[in-house]
Amino acid sequence: MPKVKAKRHSVSLDMTAMCDVAFLLLTFFMLTAKFRPEEAVTITPPSSISEKALNAKDGMLTISVSNEGGVYLATDDQMAREFMLERMANRYGVALTGEMKKNYMSSEIVGYPAGAMRQVLNMKPSEAKDKGFVKGIPIDSANNELSYWVGYAKLSNPELKVAIKGDQNSSYKVFADVIGTLQAQNINIFQLITSPENKPK
Amino acid sequence: MAEIDSSGGGKKGGKKRSKKMSTKIDMTPMVDLGFLLITFFMLTTTLAKPVTMQLNMPDKTDTKETSPVKLSETLTVCPDENKVYYYQGIPTEAGTKLEVTDYSDTGIRKVITDLKAKVGSNFTLVIKPTKKAKYRNMVDMLDECAITNNKRYALLEIDPDTEALIKRSGK
Repeated sequence: MPKVKAKRHSVSLDMTAMCDVAFLLLTFFMLTAKFRPEEAVTITPPSSISEKALNAKDGMLTISVSNEGGVYLATDDQMAREFMLERMANRYGVALTGEMKKNYMSSEIVGYPAGAMRQVLNMKPSEAKDKGFVKGIPIDSANNELSYWVGYAKLSNPELKVAIKGDQNSSYKVFADVIGTLQAQNINIFQLITSPENKPK
Repeated sequence: MAEIDSSGGGKKGGKKRSKKMSTKIDMTPMVDLGFLLITFFMLTTTLAKPVTMQLNMPDKTDTKETSPVKLSETLTVCPDENKVYYYQGIPTEAGTKLEVTDYSDTGIRKVITDLKAKVGSNFTLVIKPTKKAKYRNMVDMLDECAITNNKRYALLEIDPDTEALIKRSGK
């Protein structure tokens, strides 16, 4: 009797299904991936062993401190953002136009003195950035505009959590000034944004 | 599989047909690329998550008497840009010794753990960053508190007495 030969299968297999799955997943990840929020300046936060994730459920008010000491404000609460602008414009006597409002809402960050508000808001956010207008909110004791911005944001949404994102090489003094400004408004709990680091054994 | 027999039906008939190409293509590189991109997106979306450390400051409007802290149970650290000053006691007294160390595992962390072991649960760390200190230095000190499991710490502004002590020691 001759030997029974095992039936040989072709080594090439249909990869269409696999390809479908791969691209379905790819599309999913691409669509769900959140882009990094726009930043006025690049900030490298210091690392810490903290493992608590940033919880932005009730809205976040992020104060960024750049390497050069500029202070920027951002919030993900749209209502509070609009409210802040209206009150600030009112306070400094800036007549808001629809164009200015649109430019304000299209940029996530506030980082200019109120005196330059009219000028900055009359151009596109990217243009203002290129022309060097976005240099930070004044926080010195004579002219502490950050205090007004934060005050109005808190007025609109008292649940806002305050996060501070400082560059690792920014001076401690600026940070102390920011903390002092907030403490004067009875905001005593801060979330310091850091990058993760391994816990030492 | 999606193969079409392109061998033709023999040599019957005079019509000349153009050669048909196989419709089956090799999808291996496409799948490779797909999975490479998936891996990339998966890794980047999970790794870039920022973490926070909560900092609670005392209420300035609250004038309630707080529990007194003994000097012997307190360590004052003054983080500077590349080194840390530390001392126990009152900065204006002549007997107060100012020491200097670094941010390494065997530096300030050892100082804190040693003293904490000696003093016990009432150990309090007072952090007074110097004028030259960077934001990173303060976060490092708060981190040391978390590492040494020290829940009693205070973040204060540096006072002229402490500055004078650092200057006097010449370190």
